[in-house]
Amino acid sequence: MTDLKSRLLIAALAATTALTAAPALAEGTLTVAQRQDPANWDPVDTFLVAWGSVASNIYDGLVRRDENLDLQPGLAESWEVLDEGMRIRFQLREGVQFHNGEPFNAEAVKYTFDRLLGEVGGAGPQQSNYTTIDRVEVVDATTVDFHMAQPDPVILTKLSGYGAMIVPPQYIEENGQEHFDMNPVGTGPFKFVSYEQGARIELKANADYFEGAPELDGLVFRFIREDATRLAELQSGGVDLVSDVAFSAVPTIEAADNAGIVAVAGPSIYSLALRTKDAVTEDVRVRRALNMAIDKQALIDAFLAGRGSPIASLQGELSFGHDPELEGYPFDPQQAMALLEEAGVAPGTEMTIDYRAGNSTFNEVAQALTGFFAAVGLNVGLNPIEDGVFLNEIVPQGRTNEMYQFSWGGWTFDFDNTAYLTYHEGEKWNPYGTSDEMNALLDEQRQSPDQKLREEILQKVAQLAHEEAYHIPLYNEETVYAVADRVEGFVPAPDKRLRLTDVSVAE
Amino acid sequence: MTGFKNFEFVAGLVLIVLIGGAVALSGLLFPDGGRAMDLTARLTAPFTGWNHPLGTDPLGRDILARVVVGGRVSFFVGIVSALGAVVIGTVVGLLAGYYRGPWDMFLMRFADIQLALPFILLAMTVIAIIGPGLDRIIVLMIVAQWVQYARLIRGSVFSLRQAEFVQAAQSYGLPDRKILFGHILPNAMGPLVILATLNVANNILLESSLTFLGLGIDPLVPSWGGMLADGRNYIQTAPWVTIFPGLAIMLTVLGLNLLGDWLRDRLDPLGATK
Amino acid sequence: MPILSFILKRVIQAGFVLVAVTLFVSFAIRLTGDPAVMMLRESANVTPEDLARIREGLGLNRPFLVQYGDFIGGLLTGELGNSFFRGAIAPLISGALGATLLLALTSLAVSLLISVPLGIYAATHRGSFGDQLVRVLSLAGLSFPNFWLGIMLVLIFSVTLRWLPPSGFIGPQSLIMPAVTIGVILTSTNLRIVRTTMLDVLSSQFIMVARAKGLSQTAVIYKHALRNSSIALVTYLGLQFGSLMGGLVVVELVFNWPGMGTLAIEAIAQRDYPILQTVISILAVLIVAVNLLVDLTYMLLDPRIRLE
Repeated sequence: MTDLKSRLLIAALAATTALTAAPALAEGTLTVAQRQDPANWDPVDTFLVAWGSVASNIYDGLVRRDENLDLQPGLAESWEVLDEGMRIRFQLREGVQFHNGEPFNAEAVKYTFDRLLGEVGGAGPQQSNYTTIDRVEVVDATTVDFHMAQPDPVILTKLSGYGAMIVPPQYIEENGQEHFDMNPVGTGPFKFVSYEQGARIELKANADYFEGAPELDGLVFRFIREDATRLAELQSGGVDLVSDVAFSAVPTIEAADNAGIVAVAGPSIYSLALRTKDAVTEDVRVRRALNMAIDKQALIDAFLAGRGSPIASLQGELSFGHDPELEGYPFDPQQAMALLEEAGVAPGTEMTIDYRAGNSTFNEVAQALTGFFAAVGLNVGLNPIEDGVFLNEIVPQGRTNEMYQFSWGGWTFDFDNTAYLTYHEGEKWNPYGTSDEMNALLDEQRQSPDQKLREEILQKVAQLAHEEAYHIPLYNEETVYAVADRVEGFVPAPDKRLRLTDVSVAE
Repeated sequence: MTGFKNFEFVAGLVLIVLIGGAVALSGLLFPDGGRAMDLTARLTAPFTGWNHPLGTDPLGRDILARVVVGGRVSFFVGIVSALGAVVIGTVVGLLAGYYRGPWDMFLMRFADIQLALPFILLAMTVIAIIGPGLDRIIVLMIVAQWVQYARLIRGSVFSLRQAEFVQAAQSYGLPDRKILFGHILPNAMGPLVILATLNVANNILLESSLTFLGLGIDPLVPSWGGMLADGRNYIQTAPWVTIFPGLAIMLTVLGLNLLGDWLRDRLDPLGATK
Repeated sequence: MPILSFILKRVIQAGFVLVAVTLFVSFAIRLTGDPAVMMLRESANVTPEDLARIREGLGLNRPFLVQYGDFIGGLLTGELGNSFFRGAIAPLISGALGATLLLALTSLAVSLLISVPLGIYAATHRGSFGDQLVRVLSLAGLSFPNFWLGIMLVLIFSVTLRWLPPSGFIGPQSLIMPAVTIGVILTSTNLRIVRTTMLDVLSSQFIMVARAKGLSQTAVIYKHALRNSSIALVTYLGLQFGSLMGGLVVVELVFNWPGMGTLAIEAIAQRDYPILQTVISILAVLIVAVNLLVDLTYMLLDPRIRLE
């Protein structure tokens, strides 16, 4: 109530004075606009990229992935894999403090993972990524051992992930979980200052950061849902950097006099999954024909402003398991029609694409897809479905139409993450099943500590999926940022985490 | 004075006849239904050639065709939802006003509940349960609006019940049905027509809002609301994508509002629909 | 006392409405989908046990009536509890409610500022070209899709002229565009009401008498006619309060206004039952309270109402 009163009072007072335009941005402070407010800053409670872009500036993990996706020391200076992958020993960095002054040490690491794997983590979405860890043992103040429940070839990458961010034990115990949700404390380059739900979070530089203080004095993230509004904020000078830029806005920004586009290859791939049971797409010839009906490059040129590349499997070039030799189905409407005829699919046959409503780019792509299908004689309709319903009820329960959207941003950049989910028996994104051979391959690579062998198996998985044409892989989109000219040194990472330690703003 | 009054009528009528006429003939004018795509001609500017006089959208579809064809959805939603609400509202209103008792009790409590729920939030919740679609939007509008008509009719019946001609009809022993539909309803029609006209206008706007929020209809079917929603990301680079459907909505709604306003002056001097 | 029993009856009816609304809302929300699946929607390796564990943690395994009872208990005591995703609800709601009410009141002020003078002008110049122009313009204002108007304003005043911030709340200047967008719609109807009631009063007997006694035109307008108009305006606004709240949802979205609508849209997308049922219920309480207030005021002003 006091909040309302003060707002009203301020509004009343200021209404009498001259009105000014958007205030000039504070010097040394960078303002970022992104679509979503993650609404909770506890690492164990989130899976959102929107969380990662902000919180990567507040927290550190034991290891960190750099802009080239290579693993670098974070709060751990070094590590050793022991006992055939069943134990990993970390040497921790010394003399690091959390933002509240609490020391970082082995106990903090143990606390973090006990919390993640225990009751607190159980109520959130991160725990399931880390169940291969059995327990963490404190060896001495700067040494910890991770005892594994089973070998996990991607565990080191996962330790750079959201759930594995190291949290301050004393702070959480003293103030409670709920306080921590809204008032995050970590060891990272920026300290939390204030958070206004749905509107903004403000951070300031951590002068004592173990890798040196960041260039910026302060960092503000604003949460703006509408694409057009984020763009307007950039143009009117209200923000410096916009993430989640709609591709349709790219030409506008390229033409703007005070901002430009910075793009980086990203993890997000888009495809149409095909229903392999109880539908006309049961026939592999039909699935191949559908693949041949689509001109992927034309889609990229028209709707992604050219910022993407066609894919032959459900992964981009940066992904572990990507096979440059694998060629996608060619764009060949003639052969597509021949295949359809061979499979006994009459011209004018009706099919439907189920897809997630709300993404303006894919909404256009989906409409264009129906045009391509129409060109090979198919009458394809669209069925946009609200996210919740699509993910809760339609896909996992196998209630889709002939084609349904599958898009994924495998943040580990390891094909296992995507392939297991889409091709392995009983997984959420595999409601219609694949084959025993596929299941065996996927299991085999999960058990194997040999990365070379894993890569070969994953390439075989992609090859098999290509032959069976389980999906129509469409494109791997670049991650596009709109950046004001006064911003210097911005190098985006492919995993969409915005670590802004080296960025500065001109005055 | 009457000269200006007729201005409202003439202007409203011209707008509705022109737009409605084009929409009614859209099947003949644009047999492809505005669906033909041409990615090589995407975002062609308006007034640059005869192929696409009003330009093309991001998929290279003709804007003129889509605006004309898109009117079908708007008129359909507006008219069907208003008609549905009028029919249900009239029946319940007549019963509640004439018989009172439990009918009236039910109507008024339902009306109270209805009034207390913000329509758009209710629509978003319900659509989250049953999924989006034109039919569902229409049903939601009917559910949300029949109460207005019921209350209006109920009010008229209350006052008409005491009127001499109704009392006379009752004393002659005419059946209730005949009294309600033969005597009371015709006398309550004026305000009903006005309210319905204004609600058609209102529902056309509501459809575009719901489509804007992503609750709308099959994206392959052109609709004004859908064109506005899809075009908003192009508002700086290709404003014509949104300007023309926006104008179509505005002029149609304005035409209906002008007619409604004129009707109000004619049929409802007492101001029941104020 | 007939007045007391009337008030009592109205209050009981209001209570009934609130019970029905809250029951309906919390029941309907639980049909929209499983928040546990929403929480894990981007996670790989989700097992049914994971889902069950989260549902258990959120308290969704309990019978519906128990959950409803908890919710109502919370509403009554002000202990609104926690969102599924976003921590404590109470501060969220109070912030959003403040922002929404601020916007609603400013819009109202904007519309009165425009509609009262224009309404007086139209009524006193009845039938003139000016009168007609004012009426047609006000109808035109009612004919815009409001989100479209909002986007257009942003394009002109933020992107092109750079006078006003396009979104959020950074100060009073942030209020202008959203308030105008909503105000335009309110203005049309307000103007009509001012004009009609003024006309009624101006042609009524006692004004004729007042005029005959030599009262000036200005005095007539401000002393008598305007007072009558304001009663009609208040009634109308009371009745329209609900749809005003609904209309705010879309405009809040366009301007990224941190209000109840934005909160509700987010909550629906995430299946955040606690927030959504609280937001809708609080809006319902507000609407019912405003209507009750209007009813009671009206009854005191015009005792004939009691007959209905």
